[in-house]
Parts: sequence; C-alpha cells; structure tokens
Amino acid sequence: MRSVLDLISVAMSGLTARLSRTLLIMLGPIIGVSAIVAAVGLTESAKGDLQAELAKLGTNLVTAEAAGSFGTQNPAFPEDVVDRATALQGVQRATATLSLTGIVTSPYDAAATYYTAFPTPVLTADANFLDVMEVDLRSGRWLNDFDYRTGARVAVIGLDIANEYSYRPGENVTIQLNGLDYAVIGVFEPVKLVTNFNTAVLIPPLAADNDFDVGLEANTIYVRADPDKVSAVEDALPVAINLGGSDEVNVSVPSDALEAEAAADATLQVIVAAMGVLALVVGGVGIANVMSISVIQRSAEIGIRRALGHGRGLIAWQFLLEAVAVGFFGGLGGLAVGVGIVVYFSRIRDWTHVLDPVLVVGSYEFPSHFLGIPTVYVLGMTAALVTSVIAGLYPSVKAARLEPLETLRLG
Amino acid sequence: MPDGSLLQLEEVSRIYGDEIQVHALDRVSMSIEAGEFVSIVGPSGSGKSTMLGLLGLLDLPSLGTMWVTGKSVRDLSDYERSRLRGDVVGFIFQQFHLIPHLDARRNVETALLYRNLTPGERRRRALEALDVVGLAPRSDHRPVQLSGGEQQRVAIARAIVTEPKLLLADEPTGALDSTNAENVMEIFQELHSPLRAIAIVTHDPAVAATAQRRISMRDGRIVADEILTPTTPAGGYGGTMGRGDTP
Repeated sequence: MRSVLDLISVAMSGLTARLSRTLLIMLGPIIGVSAIVAAVGLTESAKGDLQAELAKLGTNLVTAEAAGSFGTQNPAFPEDVVDRATALQGVQRATATLSLTGIVTSPYDAAATYYTAFPTPVLTADANFLDVMEVDLRSGRWLNDFDYRTGARVAVIGLDIANEYSYRPGENVTIQLNGLDYAVIGVFEPVKLVTNFNTAVLIPPLAADNDFDVGLEANTIYVRADPDKVSAVEDALPVAINLGGSDEVNVSVPSDALEAEAAADATLQVIVAAMGVLALVVGGVGIANVMSISVIQRSAEIGIRRALGHGRGLIAWQFLLEAVAVGFFGGLGGLAVGVGIVVYFSRIRDWTHVLDPVLVVGSYEFPSHFLGIPTVYVLGMTAALVTSVIAGLYPSVKAARLEPLETLRLG
Repeated sequence: MPDGSLLQLEEVSRIYGDEIQVHALDRVSMSIEAGEFVSIVGPSGSGKSTMLGLLGLLDLPSLGTMWVTGKSVRDLSDYERSRLRGDVVGFIFQQFHLIPHLDARRNVETALLYRNLTPGERRRRALEALDVVGLAPRSDHRPVQLSGGEQQRVAIARAIVTEPKLLLADEPTGALDSTNAENVMEIFQELHSPLRAIAIVTHDPAVAATAQRRISMRDGRIVADEILTPTTPAGGYGGTMGRGDTP
C-alpha cells in the first residue's frame, strides 16, 4: 500500500517538475471533457427550457383543418362544429376560425399597395378564442355579443401586427380591410403554440360574411383536450366534427413541432459530444508524443532509479501513472470548464441550467446518475482516463525497456 | 559453488555482439568479501566498466556464474535482481547522476522508495545520511544549486542511506577538482567498515592506492590482485578528467 503512495508521489513530482509541459498536455483532456459536458449539458438546459415552456403552453392543443379532395372550393366545417367538438369525450373547449383569403390589410389608404405585397392573415374568431389559446389581452377588449350579433366592423389584432402598424394601446384607430375601415378594439398577447396568430387580424364571423361574402362556416378548429386523452381526441376529432362536412380533415398537435425541435437539438448534442471525444483522442496522441520525448530526456533518471533497485515494473508504473494523472486532473479541469460553460450560457440565455443531463445516443437513454454522480461526468472522466492510459502505455513500456547500463554511461 | 563471499565470480565472461564477438570480460574469477576496500584499476577498454555493471547487478554474465550474497544472479527475475541491487549495492557515479528536479533530501529519499517506509521515516533517514556527508544544512538545495563536490556527497548519502553491504563507486573523483576529490576520498575512508565493503573502479593510481586491495585489469582479464598498505598520497588525489581515459 505504501508503495502505491510512493508511486503516486514520484509521478506527481515528475509532473510538477515540468509544470508548463504538464499543463499543455492537460489541455487535451480539458478540451475534450469540457466539450462533452458542455454539449450534453447545454442541449439539456435548452431542452429543459423548451419543455418548461411546453408545459406552460400545454401539449394538449389539437388543430383540425378542413381540407377538400382535389377540386373542392373553400372546404369548410359544419356550422355547429364547436358544439360537436365540445361534445366529444376528452375535449375541454374548442374555438373555430375561418381564414379569409385575398384580403388586403393596411393601416391606412396610401399603404395599401405596399401591404398587397405582404398580406396579413385575416381570420374570424369566436368568443372562446382567448380561452382555448390560453392568452390574455394586452390592451383593449375582446369581441363582444353585440359585435357578434350585428357583425360590427371591429378587429382584435396580434401583438406583432400592432407593432408593425405602430399601434399604441388605447389609441382610437382603424385599419383597412380591402378598403373598409375596421376599428381596432384590442391587442392580444403572443400565442406561442400558433405563432401565425401574432401577425393576424381577428374579426367577427358575421362581419366577414357581410363584407367579404365568405359564409359563416369555419375551416379550422382548435381544441383543448384532457392531457391524457390527446391522441384519442386526435383520432376521434375528424369523424366527430365532419359528418356532412367537407371530405377531409387534417389534424395536428402544434406542440409536436416544438418537441421535434428539441429532438433536433439532441442530434446536435451527439455531434458536439463526438467532437469532444475526437479532442480527447487527439489529446491522447499529444500525451503519448510528449511523454515519449520525456522518457528519452529522463533516461538518466530512469537509469538511476534502476540502479537504486527499482524494477522495470515500477518504472513502467511511474510513467503510466504520470499519464493517468494528466488524464485525471485534465478530466477534472474539463468537468469544471464544462459546468462553467453550461452555467454561463444558461444564464445568458435565461435558461435553467441542467447539471445532471440525460445522455441520449441514438435511441438509448443513459441513466441520469451513476453511483450518485451524473452519468455525463462519469463518462467524461472515464473517457479521459481511458485515453490517458492508452496514451501512457507506449511511453511507459519504452521507459521500462531502457537499459540502465546504457543510460548511466559508466566508466 | 558459493563460498560465503559478498560477491563471487566464477569463470565469468561478458561477450558483446553476435557475429563479431567482443570479450569484454574473459573467464574472470574473483570474489569480494564483506567489509573489504577494493579498487579495480586498468586502462580504457580493460573491462573494468563491464566489471562494474556486473558487480552492480546492472548486467548479467554471458558465461560463468556470479553469486551475490550466495544467490546466483542468473536465477533471479528482473524484480528480484532489482530488489537485491537496491538492498546490497549502493552506487556512486562519476557524473553524480542526481535527479535534477528533486532537492538533495528527496534525491536521497529516492533510494528509500518502495520499501514500505512512512514518509517521516524516509525523511529522517535521508537527513541522517546527509548529515554523515556533512550536507544536512543544504538538504533543500537542488543539484544545480550545489557544487560538484557537494553533489557527489549527496550521491554518497543516497548510496549509503539504504545501508548496503557494498558501496560501488565509478570514478568517484573523476569529475572533481583535487580538493573535492580529497574530501570525497576521506568520506570513503570514514564509511569503510566491517559491515560495508567498498569497491572503487578507477584509473587514478592515487585513488586506487587508498584501498586495501587492488585488482588490476587488462584486456578483460585480471592481471594482478594485490593487498596494499593504505597510504594517503603526497601529491593528493588528482582530478582525472582529460588524462587520456574518456568516460
């Protein structure tokens, strides 16, 4: 046991005697391990942020869009689509909209030409819209019964379009839809799940029908389902709402797109982590290289130690241990740097940093902890140690094979 | 057969090369007893360096048998031979061969590694050995901070710290001026005891003359083996560098 301690102290003194060289070859494991830790930690932190946002937004919003088979003009749902959807088991609430086409929207007359080139989506909206989208009004009011009953020319607009038109809260302005003045009565907060709404103008269905002759039927319906019944609702919705309506219904879950985004980040994580492994391998070659030279430079020292009674095995262990120490301390440094990167960038991006990320390679998900330590750190350290052991093998064998008689220059 | 000597060589040859063979040692038989003070002299190429390698267990005979404390070195593994070397022999080199990145005390301690000693015990024994050569006050100096004579005294401390039965010195004064050489040879005289044999390989007649026994070599053979009356030469011990024999 004391011999092991002796070996460690000999290896350490060998490393500290050439401190700058030791620090240089430590860069390999530092860069490699920090890249692995940062890659996995950052993507997890980003994903965690996305998931937190998703949880806030809810993954239970289901969209159904009326679609016609080839040739059908303006496919639409039956008028009672919202009631049909709400009657479905597992559906909490629903809202229907009709998107209008060919409407030129502009803040004032003279701008119409410009906005012809950049059309603004115009949709009808019912009273359930804010409830289903789970957003609030930023200013003003929502469409009321009077508006719905009389088809008043009023509009509630998205935040982006309000900014685009330089609308200030409380201002009494109108916008023009195909030249007709609509009063802006409110602005709603961004809808994160359906970002299209943020640039949209929402008007009462009756007004749309009166002014643009589009009928009162909706062509898109948004449904909030019970969280555990999302896929059941997804399956049942088309039949429930479409009997007697258009031919086809496209159903989607908007949050799926965001989840796909998170999965794409996971692919990136593997690529960056692989680059970390590559850095480790290159670092390992560096360790092997520098230590081989070191063995030649220290051949006299090796000869003395042999003359003092240290066997070949001890010499080999000494140099192997020096390499392993480089890997160990480089690995620890890499962990520290990697964690630092994760914490720093998470702070900049306003994420909650994840320091015990789950590593996913392909379809295999590693357990998050190994012996109480986050798996990523264990894997990073293991990779650094394995690399340094392999890197140290050649120099240590070379050192053990030196003949003391040749290195000591006797006589 | 081993006869109880500290070191014993029987018909030992050391042959280098395969096709063209060089007999660096040619059927040499001799022995060194415990507590002897021996010098091995001879011109360049006489085989005394080869003899040093064999006596120090750094090399093995090509032919013949060599016993160290009764053990035939050929039968030992590298580990056992290294162990035996560390236990029996203390080396002193012409070029001192201190480890440059360690201070004097830790250089001495190097000889005590892997012997199951506590760091405190090792430190104590190293300082004792440095005290014997008068260098305890400079124990924290690195080799570059020491003069040649001081470095050689550290090397002697390193050689004696393991309490070896044989001090094996290779031209110990070869890299020193005459004052330091004299000083080192005085230390050898003091270290010589019935428990500690000393063998000095040299081609300096003055150094050789301080020994009790002188083995003269030429062309790989022992040509003379004489008992001497030890003297301290009037001319002092010469530094031998540049006197024709290159190390």
